[in-house]
Amino acid sequence: MDTLKEDLKKQIIEQLNLEDITPADISDDNLLFNEEGLNLDSIDALELIVLLEKYHGIQVTNPDEGKVAFRSINSMAEYIRKRKS
Amino acid sequence: MEKNTYYITAASTISHQDTFGKTGFSDSMSPVVPPALITPDYKAFIDAGLLRRMSKILRMAVACAKDCLAQTGLDQPDAIITGTGLGCLQDTDKFLNTSLTVEGLLPPTAFIQSTHNTMAGQISLSLGNHGYNMTHTQNTLSFEHAMVDALLLLDEGEEHILVGAADEHIEILSEITSHLGYAPGFPLTSGASFFTISKEKGEGTVARIADCEPVAFAKDPVKKLTRFLNNNSLEINDLSKIIYAVPGNANEGEYESIWRKAGLDPEKCINYLSLCGVYPTASAFALNYAVDLISQDRSLKNILIFNALRKENLGLTLVQSVEA
Amino acid sequence: MSVRITSIGVVSAIGFSVAENLQSLREGKSGIGEITYLEDSRPFLVGEVKASNADLKGKLGLDSSHISRTSLLGLHAAREAWGENKLNSELRTGIISATSVGGMDRSEVFYKDYLTQNNPDYTLLKTHDSGSTTERIAVEMGISDYVNTLSTACSSGANAIMLGARLILQNKLDRVLVGGSDALARFTIDGFRSLMIYDDQWCRPFDETRSGLNLGEGAAFLLLEGEKSIAFSGNKTICYLSGWANAADAYHQTASSPEGVGATLAIGNALKKSGIEPEAISYVNAHGTGTKNNDLSESVALKNVFGENIPLFSSTKAFTGHTLAAAGAIEAVFSVLAIQNGLVYPNLNFKNPIEETCLTPVTSLQTDIPIHAVLSNSFGFGGNNSSLVFADHA
Repeated sequence: MDTLKEDLKKQIIEQLNLEDITPADISDDNLLFNEEGLNLDSIDALELIVLLEKYHGIQVTNPDEGKVAFRSINSMAEYIRKRKS
Repeated sequence: MEKNTYYITAASTISHQDTFGKTGFSDSMSPVVPPALITPDYKAFIDAGLLRRMSKILRMAVACAKDCLAQTGLDQPDAIITGTGLGCLQDTDKFLNTSLTVEGLLPPTAFIQSTHNTMAGQISLSLGNHGYNMTHTQNTLSFEHAMVDALLLLDEGEEHILVGAADEHIEILSEITSHLGYAPGFPLTSGASFFTISKEKGEGTVARIADCEPVAFAKDPVKKLTRFLNNNSLEINDLSKIIYAVPGNANEGEYESIWRKAGLDPEKCINYLSLCGVYPTASAFALNYAVDLISQDRSLKNILIFNALRKENLGLTLVQSVEA
Repeated sequence: MSVRITSIGVVSAIGFSVAENLQSLREGKSGIGEITYLEDSRPFLVGEVKASNADLKGKLGLDSSHISRTSLLGLHAAREAWGENKLNSELRTGIISATSVGGMDRSEVFYKDYLTQNNPDYTLLKTHDSGSTTERIAVEMGISDYVNTLSTACSSGANAIMLGARLILQNKLDRVLVGGSDALARFTIDGFRSLMIYDDQWCRPFDETRSGLNLGEGAAFLLLEGEKSIAFSGNKTICYLSGWANAADAYHQTASSPEGVGATLAIGNALKKSGIEPEAISYVNAHGTGTKNNDLSESVALKNVFGENIPLFSSTKAFTGHTLAAAGAIEAVFSVLAIQNGLVYPNLNFKNPIEETCLTPVTSLQTDIPIHAVLSNSFGFGGNNSSLVFADHA
C-alpha cells in the first residue's frame, strides 16, 4: 500500500470536512473535481493548497498549477514526490 | 391610503425547543434549556456538498428556508431577505483565530462564510434563485428591518417574499457578556425563523402581518406603542396577547405595569425570551410563536410583538388572525 | 421613477472630501501604497485613508475612544453629505449605511490580547457589530427616524442607496442619507489573501495580466430627498438616481458565473427601471476589482446587455483600492461627479484587453464628452449583484 496516497486521502477528508466519506471510498484515480468523483470546487482547490503546505511543506503560489496537480490522488502524490525530489 | 395585506403563508423555526415541522408547538412549551438545539436531519434539506462546510447558522437558515417553500409549494420566492444581529460568528471567530495565530497560508472557507450575507447567499444558491437578495443587520432590530423590506417589496408588486432571521451562539459570547456586565436574564441561545409573506392567502393561512415598525433610539416606548396601535385603529386592551422581550437588567415590573395599567390580563402577556432564550433576532421566533398560537386558536385576533430586548431599540409587530 | 440626489460626501485613499477626490481623479493620482496606518507590518499594497484614528478624531472633534475606524470614516463622509441641512420634526429623516467589517479593527485588537491572555479589553467589542457602526454615526448626526445597516459584502453600498430610494418613493421617509463605510482590517486582507486573489502589485482591472485586487478603505454618503423635503430645504438637485436592481447569481459562494447571469440581470433590470435605453448610457463605472473572475464575468455581462455598442467604461478601483461595502457608495459619488463635471475617469494600470472578451476601458481622462447617464456596478460574494443608474434628468 502506498502510504503517501493513504495519508492524502485522510488529510483531504479532514481538510474538506467530507463528513460521510472514508478513505476507502476514494480510489487513486478518482477525478477529484468531477461529479462522478468527489465533486470538489474552487474553494476546495484552495484548501488543498493549504493542505500541501501544512502537511507536506510544499508551496503553490499559482492556483492554476494546482488544477493539474489536483486531478486525482495519483496526480497529487506524483506532484508531491516531484516537488520533494 | 388603503393598507395592503401581507399574509404569512409559511413559517419555520429551529430553536432549542421542538419547533421544526411542528404546528401547534406553542401548546407544549417549557422554559428554554440550552445548549442543544433541536434540529432536523439537515441532509434531507441541504445538498451534502454545501452542508459539509456550513456552520450552525447556515444550516438552520437554509433548512428553515426550504421548509417554508415546501409548506407553500412555491418553486421560487420573488426575493430572499434575511436579518442577523451578529452574523456568522462561528466562522468569524474561526478565521480571526487563524489569521492571528497561523503563519503561512490560511484556509479560506471560514473567511468566505464569515460575511453576513452568507445565509441569504446560500439560500439563493440552494434554490437556484436569481431574485432580490438582501441582508439587514441592525442589532436587535435586524429582523424587523428585514420584514419592512419584505413588506415594501409586496407594496411594489412582488408576490411572495422569503424573509427570516438567524443568529448563532458561540462559546466566547458567554464570556464576553459576563465581562461586559450584561445579564440578559435568560440563557444565551441560537435560533432561526423564516417565513413566506405573500400578497394572497394560501390554503391554511391563519395569520397576517398588519404592521411592523423598528424604532431606533426609542425614548418613550409606551408613547411609541400607543401611536403604533392608533395607526392600526387599536387600543392596548384590544390586544389578545402581547409577546414581549425586555432588557435583562430592566425592572420587568416596569413593563408589566404598563400592560396591567392598560387593562391587560397578565396571562395574556408572555415574555418570549423565556421560551427561545436570548439572541439578537429572537423576535423572529416570537413571530412564529404568534402564528402558531393563532393556528391553535383563531379567536386570537391581535397579537403584538413588543421587542425591547435592547433598551435603545424597539420593534413593534402586529400579527392578526385571518378569517377561515 | 427617479429620486433626487442633493448632496454627496466621500473620504477615500485619494482624498478627504469630494473636492480632493475629484482632483485626484482628474490628475490620475492613485492612493494605493504600502501599509502605513494599519497595525500590520507586512508590506502589502492598500488604499488607506491617509490619517490615523487620532487624526480622524481630531478632524471630527471627537474625544471618545469608543469608536471604530469604520464609524469615524462614515461620520466624516456623512457630515460632508449632510452639509448645512437642519433637522426638522416635520421631516422624517433616515440613515442607511453599509458595512462588511463593522468594528473589526477594534475586535482584532481585543482578540490578539485575548489569545495571548494579555489582559484583553472587552469593551473594545462594543463596537464589533455592524449595526452599532451606523448607530454611532446616526447619534452624532442626530438622525433617528430610520436607522439601518445592510451587509451584502462588496455590493452593500449600492444596496443601501437602492433601499433609501425605495423608502422615499414609498413615502416612508422624506429624506435619507445613504452610503457605506469600511475600514481596512487584517481580517479582510488575510481573507482575500487566503483566496489567492490579493495582488502584490498594483491591481490591473480589465487587463489580461490582472491577478487580483488591492484592498482599500473609505466611506461615502449621498443625500436623497423627496418632494416634501425639497420644499423645506430648497436644495438644488445635483443628479437623479433613476434605476436600480439587485439580483442573485446563484452560481457559487465566491466565484461569479462565467456567463455573468446575476450581473446581466442586475444591469438589465436597473436599465429597465430607469427607462433609459442602453445606448443612452454615457459611461459605465464598472465593479472591476482586478480579479480574474470578476472582470471576465463583468465583461461578459456588459456584452450581454450592450452587445457590440459597449459604452465608455472604467474601474476606479486602481485609484481607491477595493473598499468593499463602501465601494458602491464611493463609486456612486464618482458617478455623480462624472455627470456634474462631464468626466470619464481613466482605468489605471491597463495595458492589454482580456483575451476572451477583448474589451478596452478608457485609459485617459476624458473631459469634453457630455455625460447624461452613468451605470455603476457593484458585485459581491455570495453572488450579490447590484447596479445603479444615475442621470442628469428626471
